[in-house]
Amino acid sequence: MVGFIILAVILVAGGVGVVLLRQPVHAALSLVATLLALAVTYVTLQAHFLAAIQVIVYAGAILVLFLFVIMLLNVGGETSVDRVTWLKPAAWIAGGITVAGVVAIAFLSRTPLPEAAVVNAALGGGNADRIGEVLFSDYLLAFQLVGVLLMTGVVAAVSLVQRAAPETRPQRGPAARGAPHEPFLGVRHPEEHAGDVAHGSH
Amino acid sequence: MVPTEYYVGLSAILFALGSVGVLTRRSAIMLFLSVELMLNAANLAMVAFARGWAASGSKTALDGQTAVFIVLAIAAAEVAVGLGILVAIFRNRVSTNVDELAEVRG
Repeated sequence: MVGFIILAVILVAGGVGVVLLRQPVHAALSLVATLLALAVTYVTLQAHFLAAIQVIVYAGAILVLFLFVIMLLNVGGETSVDRVTWLKPAAWIAGGITVAGVVAIAFLSRTPLPEAAVVNAALGGGNADRIGEVLFSDYLLAFQLVGVLLMTGVVAAVSLVQRAAPETRPQRGPAARGAPHEPFLGVRHPEEHAGDVAHGSH
Repeated sequence: MVPTEYYVGLSAILFALGSVGVLTRRSAIMLFLSVELMLNAANLAMVAFARGWAASGSKTALDGQTAVFIVLAIAAAEVAVGLGILVAIFRNRVSTNVDELAEVRG
């Protein structure tokens, strides 16, 4: 129980940090702390394979992608004023009601946990071979669909980040390809536009 | 062992924090981070339920952990596409503030 309380404090503190910290980098690092604590929580719930996957995929790949994009776009803290002043208190109250409702239902309908030996026998420590048996028998269709989805995601991400279509850009000679003044991320400065107009006129 | 309902309560707190983040933050990146928090809260509940269902056999119990595995893969795909959209928006608007991206509003 002591371990659970420590983990719960880290998880909730990390979640509050994600919601409240102004700088996106700080919020992302706070989420990393939450996800690592969640991996430890998975170990206490006999899901060892998922704990490893959580560290590798979530904290390792997804959050690094987030930090990469935050630093690439150089996103600063939010400065604009609230247009709807009651939104923030209303959101917190709605969140509190959600927590109260779920906790009430969970504690009213509680069932005793099975014996530790039964849990160990059923979950097998949550190892990859036990999860694999279920994944490749009962969930084979879901597994295949996730494969298709990941393939679609790769194609979509590449086509989104691809440079703008050639017909929307001014024609450039082959010599200009890879010129040092390629616009960073496609964001073009006004003087560069002026240069393009002058370039295109002759 | 800590009973399942404590984990479900913790999961509810994390989910509520994520939803508050989605409602109150204005940067699109922060919205994505909050959605990740909500996904992880749901994952925690499913792993806790997987242990709670251990008495009804190995296959039933491991359904929860398998679902978490699939959710992880879907989250990876979502982040790849979402951040791609974000970079594309930033190229055109030099901003990720969702208040300024209201052209679809009827």
